[in-house]
Amino acid sequence: MMGIFSRKTIFLTLALAMVALFSTVSTGQAQPMTPEALLGKKVARLQAKATKGKGLIELDTVAFEEVLAMPRNYSMVVLFTAISPEFNCIPCLNFDPEYRLVASGWSKQTDKTRLFFGSLDFKVGQTVFQKFGMNSAPSALYFPPSGAPSSQPSLDRYDFQKSGFQAEEFAKWLNSRAETDIKVKRPFDFIGAAINILGVAGALFSAVMMYQKAGKIFGSRYLWSALSLFTIFVMISGHMWNQIRRPPYTIPGRGGQPGFIAQGFQNQLGLETQIVAVMYALLCGSVIALLGIVPRIEDPSKQRIAVWVSMGLFSLMFSVLIQFFKVKNPGYPFQLLFR
Amino acid sequence: MSAETSTVARILKPTILILIAVVAIASRLFSIIRFESVIHEFDPWFNYRTTQHLVKNGFYEFWNWFDEKSWYPLGRVVGGTVYPGIMVTSAIIHNVLHFFNFPVDIRNVCVFLAPMFSGLTAFSAYLLTKELKDSSAGLLAAAFLGVAPGYISRSVAGSYDNEGIAIFLLVFTFYLWIKAVKTGSAFFGLLTALFYFYMVSAWGGYVFITNLVPLHAFTLLLMGRYSNRLYVSYSTFYAVGTLLSMQIPFVGFQPTRTSEHMAALGVFGLLQLYAFAELVRGYVTPKQFKTLLKGGVSAVAIFAVVGLTVLSFSGVIAPFTGRFYSLYDTGYAKIHIPIIASVSEHQPTAWTSFFFDLQMLIFLFPAGVYLCFKELKDEHVFIILYSVFASYFAGVMVRLMLTLTPVVCVSAAIAYSTLLDTYLEKSEHVLASNLAGGARPTVAAATTTATVTDAPAEPKSKKAAARAAAAKAVESETKAKASTKESKETKEAKDSKKRFPIFNWDSRAMVIMQLTWFLFMFAWHCTYVTSGSYSSPSIVLASRQADGSQMIIDDFREAYYWLRKNTGEDAKVMSWWDYGYQMAGMANVTTLVDNNTWNNTHIATVGLAMSANEDVSYQVLRQHDVDYVLILFGGVIGYSGDDINKFLWMIRIAEGVYPNMVKESNFFTPRGEYKVDHEASQTMRDSLMYKMSYYRFAELYGGNAVDHVRGARMPAEGPTLNVLEEAYTTQNWLVRIYKVKDLDNIGRDLKDATAFDKGKVKKVSSLKRFVKA
Repeated sequence: MMGIFSRKTIFLTLALAMVALFSTVSTGQAQPMTPEALLGKKVARLQAKATKGKGLIELDTVAFEEVLAMPRNYSMVVLFTAISPEFNCIPCLNFDPEYRLVASGWSKQTDKTRLFFGSLDFKVGQTVFQKFGMNSAPSALYFPPSGAPSSQPSLDRYDFQKSGFQAEEFAKWLNSRAETDIKVKRPFDFIGAAINILGVAGALFSAVMMYQKAGKIFGSRYLWSALSLFTIFVMISGHMWNQIRRPPYTIPGRGGQPGFIAQGFQNQLGLETQIVAVMYALLCGSVIALLGIVPRIEDPSKQRIAVWVSMGLFSLMFSVLIQFFKVKNPGYPFQLLFR
Repeated sequence: MSAETSTVARILKPTILILIAVVAIASRLFSIIRFESVIHEFDPWFNYRTTQHLVKNGFYEFWNWFDEKSWYPLGRVVGGTVYPGIMVTSAIIHNVLHFFNFPVDIRNVCVFLAPMFSGLTAFSAYLLTKELKDSSAGLLAAAFLGVAPGYISRSVAGSYDNEGIAIFLLVFTFYLWIKAVKTGSAFFGLLTALFYFYMVSAWGGYVFITNLVPLHAFTLLLMGRYSNRLYVSYSTFYAVGTLLSMQIPFVGFQPTRTSEHMAALGVFGLLQLYAFAELVRGYVTPKQFKTLLKGGVSAVAIFAVVGLTVLSFSGVIAPFTGRFYSLYDTGYAKIHIPIIASVSEHQPTAWTSFFFDLQMLIFLFPAGVYLCFKELKDEHVFIILYSVFASYFAGVMVRLMLTLTPVVCVSAAIAYSTLLDTYLEKSEHVLASNLAGGARPTVAAATTTATVTDAPAEPKSKKAAARAAAAKAVESETKAKASTKESKETKEAKDSKKRFPIFNWDSRAMVIMQLTWFLFMFAWHCTYVTSGSYSSPSIVLASRQADGSQMIIDDFREAYYWLRKNTGEDAKVMSWWDYGYQMAGMANVTTLVDNNTWNNTHIATVGLAMSANEDVSYQVLRQHDVDYVLILFGGVIGYSGDDINKFLWMIRIAEGVYPNMVKESNFFTPRGEYKVDHEASQTMRDSLMYKMSYYRFAELYGGNAVDHVRGARMPAEGPTLNVLEEAYTTQNWLVRIYKVKDLDNIGRDLKDATAFDKGKVKKVSSLKRFVKA
């Protein structure tokens, strides 16, 4: 008890002595450093860094701790990312330019000491990643100024899942947090525009050039019918659903076999729709065979075989299709060839 | 064809058509036989209410109706925000019947309107297909469309909604358009415009016509099939149709401003330029014409581009509306408009839905499109375009299955009837036509001059003959152009191989028997689907009990009837927007939001009141003068469409407007699950919706409650309610109504007041302490 006390006192006195020393030294050189002045200096340093990085401050573990040290009159947004190629973090790479866009949008404002943009790479900030329990990147956190009322212990995290990777959405999120008015101004993409213009011009030019020669191709009934039928098959087998809902292609089924039929009537897998599209194509193909090919066969016995084959295929595929549908809708009462 | 003109056929065809109409109507009556003649679902209740208003107060009163009982306190201009087609149609039918002293109730007119129109739809499918192939294919198409579940789904008796008449109008307008293009008559162009106007007045889906018809015209132009027929029919249709469509207040100036109408305008302009160029060509030398054309085309192109850019940037031309935009950019709605994404009709279509709604037609349909490519007259081009685009749109939005179904039926009928033709054809007939050889190609080659060969064939009257002559005169201008094509096509036809009959009777028999069997299966499928899935009125539910007997769950009407009888005339009842129309129609109370989701902020406010804690909610409720709150709770009987399951959407929509007050993530457990039992997050438990749903739920089971929808075991201690009191709960707990408490009359906080009423010790002890002091 006594020992602890004495150690505490010793520590206290030591600290006091150091403070006194420090203050005497600084008074010797300049006027006394109030906490405000210290903060001001820090902000100035940060701003210098930010200007150098076009609004963005590259952080590492040490810099991170320093920047977020407690008395701060600015808010901070930090992107936890993993740009280095060895991590192969595609979303990180995708989001990086968007994030820089927002940061540079902020750096163009007049009062830019209220908010700083930091970026912490996993390579140089592993300890921070561990401290915050980050196990996925990218992840963006917002740290309000220490005095602000909304400073709570829970982390204010940007939801990439919901809001997406667009700079505009991110700026919106940030504006609602930091009460800023960051406008994202995408730089005019000269190269992209040039490529587009050239592409369109090239396509037009080649179309005009080819028009005489390839008029037959463009005007080909077969081309257009193939295109139309393909589109229809793709659409009626639920491709747009896949486009919007992005289901997995297959799922692991029972016994490690890849399952290709999704459970539930309003649910489907990538492979499942392709199977359906092929079935539709076969069914439709056999009808077309019955209509187009069979009547062209002059030999009666050959014709008979053709009819039986096409019609057999038709019935078989129809039965399979109904069975397939029964898997999705177990209550369906009808069947054709199979039970 | 000889069969078409025989006396038997002349009697049979109308008989078959009438029978088809009877079947179409009959198969839509399941719900009436099972339940009663009642309006279904949600939107129909609004239509019914406005129809009642129209019949009672007359057209002008209806046209200027400001409905102060909905969207309280904002109100709604009904006349200007509604497609009046269906209401006016029912009112006219009602008045005509009453004129002839048939005292039919307006409700029955409304209930039976959609089935009646389905008969007409079948007939127009017949007409349309007859233009494409022949009358036997037409009869098949009529039969298919009459019973196809894809169409029945929105047109059963009681489903009194715009689609009920709109599909008839869609098919009939398309028929008239094809007729107009074929004949080149301004008369049919005018009829097309008139029915287009009817369609515009009836359904927002008119935009489909607005884009498909110009697309057809444009494609014909690209294919080098410009003709004066096309010019006359399109110009008539566009000019008259657009002017008429602008008379609907809800449409107003949209046809000149919004992007979804621009294609029609653009093609109209293009046709004028093309026609002008054709005219000029006749007066100048080819060389001069070439220079003129080059200059003209570039001038017009520059003018158009500059004009469009300026207009759209200055805001004269509005951008796409959200609902429409979500058709093109499928991710759009998900991010920007949760209220659109939340509607189940706006979800994409899984393949099962296609099969469920169309069964074998879905794979006969591409075969029909293939046959259209074989023929490829102007009208077949139309069907091809319709097929491709409608199948895309149907894939994006379940609701648009409705626009796909007609073309699937028509196209499948063409395939099916061609199959029947091939395998039923008498061999002598085929052989004869084969021997004739050249006879077939010439008929086929006369594509561009179809009217010339067709029209004089049956000159029924002097007028018809005159019309044919006029058409001929119109044709003669383009004949020079056509003749070159004709020779080309004759060559093509000659190249195609000869066709033989089906030699063996067994092949024929097998094909025909199987096809017939498939027709049976199709009919069974349609009946099964209609009866099982599409005939539920959704305001009355039926379920089977353990002993197999049917139990009718009539909680909705019970609750609405209670509201009607027990609340004041001006009571304001808050509920989620889904039930707004039903409450207004059945309970005759004032609602805050309803299915006309025109004001997102107002809906979000209701979402806020539902998802916030009692203190915040109470403020919102008081600010909006709410007297009662109505919610759906399916936990007792396992009704999955209840408000707790919709709750996430309420939160999302509320968050969109009040991001600082509602946070979706707070409603999930730390593991990101949506739970209602003891694991539920604190925010979830504090929310008004949760409290209202599970208030006294545990008591019902003696503290051992299980939510049957979410399969969750509920905590023994249920939530307490301070600012609301339970007013009414229906028999199966499906609908629960709460009364908003008034401010405490001795100025206490409502929480304290409730606690005091319950005899909580806290008050007593503080009182004691006070006494002691």
